[in-house]
Amino acid sequence: MAAITLENLSKNFGAFAALKELNLEVRDREFVALLGPSGCGKTTTMNLISGLLHPSVGRILFDTRDVTPIPMDRRGVGFVFQNYAIFTHMTVRQNLAFGLRVRRLPPSEINRRVGAIAEMMQLTKLLDSRTDKLSVNILQRIAIGRSAIVEPAIFLLDEPLSNVDAAFRQVMRTELKTLQRQFKQTMVYVTHDQLEAMTMADRIAVLDQGILQQVGSPLEIYNHPRNVFVARFIGSPGMNLLNGRLSAENGQTFVDLGPAGRTDALPSGLARAAERAQSANVLVGVRPEDLECVDGATESGLTLVVSFVERIGHRTVVHLGAGAQSAKMTAHSTFVAALGSALRLRARAAGLRLFDRSSGLALTLE
Amino acid sequence: MTIAQSPIDFAAPGLSTQPAALNADERATRRLGTYLTLPTQILLAFIVIFPLLMELYISLSSWTPLDGRNWLYAYRYWAGLDNYWELISNARFWQSIGRTLFIMVVCVPVELLLGLGLALLFAGEFRGKRLFYSIMLMPMMVVPAVAGYMFFMLFQSGGPINNILSTLSGGAVSIAWLSRPNLALAAVMIADIWQWTPLMFLILLAGLLGVPEDQLRMATLLGAGPWWRFRLIVLPRIRAILLIALAIRTIEIFKVFDTLYIMTTGGPGVSTETISVYIYKVTMEDLQWSYVAAIALVILVVLSALAAPAIKRFAPAR
Amino acid sequence: MYDVSRPSSWFWVLRYALIFLALIIALIPIAWMASMAFKPVEEWTAAGTDLHWLPLRPTLDNFRMIFGSSNSRLIVSIEQTAARPIIASLLAASVGTAIAMICGTLAAYGVSRFDAGRNLPLALLQLRIFPPMAVMIPVMIMWTFLGLVDTWYGLALIYGIVTLPFAFWLMKTFFDEMPRELEEAALVEGCTRFRVFYRITLPVLMAPFASAALLVFIFNWSDYLIALLLTTKEWRTIPVYMSSLSSSMTGQLYGAKAALGLIAALPPVVLGLAIQRYLVRGLTFGALKQ
Repeated sequence: MAAITLENLSKNFGAFAALKELNLEVRDREFVALLGPSGCGKTTTMNLISGLLHPSVGRILFDTRDVTPIPMDRRGVGFVFQNYAIFTHMTVRQNLAFGLRVRRLPPSEINRRVGAIAEMMQLTKLLDSRTDKLSVNILQRIAIGRSAIVEPAIFLLDEPLSNVDAAFRQVMRTELKTLQRQFKQTMVYVTHDQLEAMTMADRIAVLDQGILQQVGSPLEIYNHPRNVFVARFIGSPGMNLLNGRLSAENGQTFVDLGPAGRTDALPSGLARAAERAQSANVLVGVRPEDLECVDGATESGLTLVVSFVERIGHRTVVHLGAGAQSAKMTAHSTFVAALGSALRLRARAAGLRLFDRSSGLALTLE
Repeated sequence: MTIAQSPIDFAAPGLSTQPAALNADERATRRLGTYLTLPTQILLAFIVIFPLLMELYISLSSWTPLDGRNWLYAYRYWAGLDNYWELISNARFWQSIGRTLFIMVVCVPVELLLGLGLALLFAGEFRGKRLFYSIMLMPMMVVPAVAGYMFFMLFQSGGPINNILSTLSGGAVSIAWLSRPNLALAAVMIADIWQWTPLMFLILLAGLLGVPEDQLRMATLLGAGPWWRFRLIVLPRIRAILLIALAIRTIEIFKVFDTLYIMTTGGPGVSTETISVYIYKVTMEDLQWSYVAAIALVILVVLSALAAPAIKRFAPAR
Repeated sequence: MYDVSRPSSWFWVLRYALIFLALIIALIPIAWMASMAFKPVEEWTAAGTDLHWLPLRPTLDNFRMIFGSSNSRLIVSIEQTAARPIIASLLAASVGTAIAMICGTLAAYGVSRFDAGRNLPLALLQLRIFPPMAVMIPVMIMWTFLGLVDTWYGLALIYGIVTLPFAFWLMKTFFDEMPRELEEAALVEGCTRFRVFYRITLPVLMAPFASAALLVFIFNWSDYLIALLLTTKEWRTIPVYMSSLSSSMTGQLYGAKAALGLIAALPPVVLGLAIQRYLVRGLTFGALKQ
C-alpha cells in the first residue's frame, strides 16, 4: 500500500510562498498528474514528497506513516529529474546498478536485476556503454530504470518527456503507463503539457501560484472546471470566457453579452445555479468546440466578428471579437469565413458554463 | 594603414588554395603575431639558452670565481667530465636529494589529504563561510621567507609550541626542535604543511564545486549515504583535479628553499639540507661553481625529461 | 552542496568544531608574529610561565627600531633602516610585474588570436618547473657582466622573467575565453588590429588583467632566493634585509624582525584576498577555473 497524503502543506522561501496549504490525497497505485504553468509549485510539491525539501508547514504521510521527519535517502521514493542527472562518469550498467549497490546486494543478485530492468527498458545492448554521449531518449530510459530497479512503491517523475523528441513522446507515454501498472506503483507526474496529463493520468491536480485549483479525473476537469483558471488553462484553445449580465425574461434566465448578443435560455440546472450568483455580473464559459454557426436570423444568438482564421490541418480555429470581448471557435477544416465578417453563432446548451465574475468560481448546483 | 583580416578568414572564394602563397593580409597578420610574441621569446632565450650554454661550458672545467679570472677563460682549467663523476659519487649531494624526496613523499600526501578534508568541510553553505574561507587561505599568502621566520620563532625551546605542548601534557616541555636533526626535519615539514595545505584546499574545493549537485541528490534519493556518495560520485569526478594538485605541489616542493633556509639554514649539520639548500651552499660558501653547473645541468635535463611527457598528456599543445 | 540530506545537529557541531580548529591552526603562527612585533625587548625571549600570547606592555618600539629611531635602552646597530628595503621591494616587484604583464599579455594575445609562438605555452610551463637555483650561477655571471647586480632594475628584470609564465598563462586563458566575435565585428567595420585590442579587448579584460597583475606582484614581492643572490647592500629587499638583521648584543632581534615580517606579509595577504576569484586559475596555470 502506498497512498500519499499531503496535509496542509506549505513551503516558503523567505518571503516567497511557493506552496500554500496544499491538501491532496493520492490513492494507492493511482497515477496523478500535477499540471500547471511555470512557477505554480508542482516541482516544489515533488521535492517535498521526496524529501529534497522540508515543509514550512504541514505533514506528508505515506499510507498512515508520517514521513515528514524522515530524510530523503530513507523515504524509498523513486524520482526521475527533468534533466535525468545520469551519472555521466559511469556506464549504463553502473547507473542501473547504483541503487542496489549502495544497498550492498550480492553481485549475482545485482546482475540479475540489472539484466531484467535493461530488458524491460530495451537497454540490453547498451549496458556497457559510457553514458556521456548517449541520446536523450536513451538517457531517459536509463533514468527510469535506475529509479525503478529498487522497486519503490512511490514513483515521482518531473517532466520526464519534455526533453524527448515529439515523435518518441507518444511511445514513452505508453511505456510509462505500462511500467506503472506492472510495478503497481503510485505515480506522481509533473507536466506543463495538458495533453500528456489528460491522456496519462487517473486524476489531475491543477495548480497555479502555489494553490491547488482543482483535483479530478481528466474528464471532470475538462467538463466541469471549478474556476476560471482551470477553464482557461485546460483545453487547447482554452474555454472562452465572456463578460455578461444575467437577465430574466418570461421565467427564463438569459445572459446578456453586450455587443456580442445574448445567449439562449439557460438550461434549468444552470439557471438554478445562476441564482446563487452574488451579482448579476457573470462570465459565460463555452468551449470553442461548443460554438456553432447558425443560418438565418434568430432572436437570440451571438454575433461576433471574425478577426483571424487559423488553419491547423484537421481543424480551423476562428478568432472572433465583439467590442472588448474575444472568443475562439473551432470548426471543420473546410470552414470559410471572411476576415471582418460577422458570424451568427450559438452555444450548445450542454457546453454552457457560468462563473461568478468577482470570485472566478464556477456557479454549480453542488 | 591596412585592414588586416582575421586569421581564420580563408582565402576569398575563387582563389585556389595554394599553401605556399600567403596573401598580403595573411603575411601582415603573421608578422603581427611574431611581433607580439617577440619580447617573450627574447626573454625566454635569454634565460634558457645563455645559461644552458654557460653551464655546459663551465661544467666541463674546474673553474671557480676564486681563480680570479673571468669565466670565459674556463677552458684553461679544462676538466672534462670530472664534475659529473663528482656528482655521481658525492654522498652529500645524494643525501640532499634523498632528503628532498623524503620531504616530498611525506608532505605532499599529507597536504593533499588535509586539503581534501578541509574542502569537504567547506563544501556547502553555512554561516560565516566567506570569512572562514578567507582566513583559511591566509597561510599560503604569507611570504615564504616570513613564514620561515614565524616558525623559527614558534619552534624555539622557550617558544609557543613547547608552551602549548606543556599545557596539553601537564608537564614542562622544552624540546629543542631546531637543534636536533630529526626534529628539525619534522619542524620544517610542519611549516611546509601549514603553509601549503590551504593551496590544496583551494584547488580541491574548486574541484568539489564542479561535482553536479543534481547527481548528488539523485544518489541520495537512491539511498546512498555520505560515504557512498563520496566514493562513487565525488571521487571519480575529482580525479583529474587531484592529479593537478598533486603535480603542482610536487613540483613546488622539490624547489623548497626560502622557508626552510630561514628556519634552519639547512642544519643542524646537514639534517635539513634539501637539494636547493645544498646547491646554494656549494655556490656561495664553497664557491665550486663548475661543480654546481654540472649539477644544475643534470637537474634540468632530468626534470625536462620527466615533465615533458606528463605535460603533453595533461595539456595537448594546441 | 555536499550534505544533500538533512543532517543532524551533531553533524553541525562537529563540522564547526573542526573548522574552528583549522582556523586556529592557520592563525597561530601569524598571530604569534603579530604579537611579537608589539612586544618590548624584555618579552622577546620570555619562556615557560613567563610566556604570554599577548604583549603585556604593547609598544611600537620595534617599528621605531627598524626605521632608525629607537628610544629603547638597547644600543642596537642596524646598518640601514627598513625604509630602503621597503622601497627596494616595492620598486623591484612593481617594475618586474610590469615587465611580466606587458610581455606576457602581448605574447598571450599573439598565441591566442594569431596562433603565433607555439612553443611558448609549453616552454613557459617548464620554466616554472626548474628550480631557480639551477640557473642562478649563469644569471649571476650575466648580471655581473651587465652591471645589474645590486640594482633595483636588475632585480626587476629577473623578476619579470621568472613570473612571466604566470602572466602569460593567466592572460592566455582569459583571451581564449573571450569570444572572438566582438573583435571580428570591429575588424569588419574597419578598425585596425591595434585599435581593436586597445578599445575592445582590453576594456573587457580590465578586471582579469588587474587580478593577474596583482598575482604576479605577490610572487615578485615574496621572492627571497633571487634577491639574496643578486643584491648585496644597497638594494636588498625586505626578506633579505630581514634575515640579515641581528645584533651582537642580543642575537636575534625577535621583535624587530617580527615587525618587519608583519610589514612584509601584509601586502600579499591583502592583495591575495582581493583577487580570490582568480587564485585557482592563476595557481594552476589555467587548468582549473573557479
